[in-house]
Amino acid sequence: MTDLIVSISFHELCQYEELSEYIILEVVDHGIAEPVSGKNAPDWVFDTNTVHWLRKAVRLHSQLEIDWVAVAMIIELLQRNESLEREHRCLEQKLKRLLE
Amino acid sequence: MDFKDYYDILGVTPDSDTKAIKTAYRKLARKYHPDMNSDEGAEDKFKEAAEAYEVLKDTERRAEYDELRQYGGAKSGGFEPPPGWQRSSGAGTTESSHFGGDYSDFFNSMFTGGAGGGRKQRSGMRGQDAELEMPVFLEETLAETSKRVEYRIPTFENGQVTETKKSLDVKIPAGVKDGERIRLRGQGGAGQGEGPNGDLYLHIRLVPHPLFDIEAHNLVVTVPLAPWEAALGTKVTVPTLSGKINLTIAPNSQPGQRLRIKGKGLPTKTGSGDLYALLKVVMPVKTSDEVKELWRSLADKVDFDPRGNWGNAS
Repeated sequence: MTDLIVSISFHELCQYEELSEYIILEVVDHGIAEPVSGKNAPDWVFDTNTVHWLRKAVRLHSQLEIDWVAVAMIIELLQRNESLEREHRCLEQKLKRLLE
Repeated sequence: MDFKDYYDILGVTPDSDTKAIKTAYRKLARKYHPDMNSDEGAEDKFKEAAEAYEVLKDTERRAEYDELRQYGGAKSGGFEPPPGWQRSSGAGTTESSHFGGDYSDFFNSMFTGGAGGGRKQRSGMRGQDAELEMPVFLEETLAETSKRVEYRIPTFENGQVTETKKSLDVKIPAGVKDGERIRLRGQGGAGQGEGPNGDLYLHIRLVPHPLFDIEAHNLVVTVPLAPWEAALGTKVTVPTLSGKINLTIAPNSQPGQRLRIKGKGLPTKTGSGDLYALLKVVMPVKTSDEVKELWRSLADKVDFDPRGNWGNAS
């Protein structure tokens, strides 16, 4: 049986092929990812959702050649989009129940 | 091996300057980037454009490519590099900056010095991560559940990519939320050399329930009532995720009204959400003459204008 983990450390993130200490610091500095605990970089711990968004951010930054400020805005909009889509699905299901 | 016409892919002419190439790439990248476009085939188009840009943006690499293009680009059938072809050492090696080195065979043979050369060939490379959609039934969130997951992960061996099938039993914790991503350390692709294995991420999707809707940690169940039940009040048996409960409907209840049933929602770290019974009035589909008569006498006796507030609004 495999246990699930809901967090990832700064050190573990640095081992990702596309990430580096510098990139993680940049991303945190721009508010794209926020550690859930730890005062300074080496002690930072992130929740596992962060990995998904962090990777997206790094891809957008390198592949579309856009600066971190714009990446931060895109990520925020993508997150808002994901949460609105979830809410939309939920409301649609509720509406169906009321109308049927 | 097929020859890749990078100019064609970017939609530019071979005499285009670097600025035009950059503009063409950016336009295609915005359109087909997998983070912005989930259409089928978009990712492949993006990869093609990124590969073309990787070669054409670099003056030296572009000069090498132009030479190759002159030599064999126009020939039909498979492409073979010129005899003794060796890329100059001047044009720097690609750092797989664009998509983790997922380049075509043509690119790998011409510009990186061997199949699979597009990937960072450093010792101790971390294995690839995998992300899976994990459907979870609402009932399964009440307590810790064990679920079997089966997935495939790419494995790199001697420059060849093969897929390995894996299966695992995982413990899904109680109170798991829709959209949550949880991590299984070391269950992704195998690391190379001394590199650690990648991780597996499970993206939790709560399966829509035939009866219950979710609002954060609360659940909503729609309770259909006959008009007279709403008017006179009644007792109904309402399903919850764990058994049934009896609910008293007060006289003069309104459709849309929500009755709170404490602690019958989804589990949270600190306790449990609530279940809301949402009242809905439904009409009988068929009405006999006798019933119609009863409605008529009700209409005569009751002084009620359901559209009373329209007068104020207009």
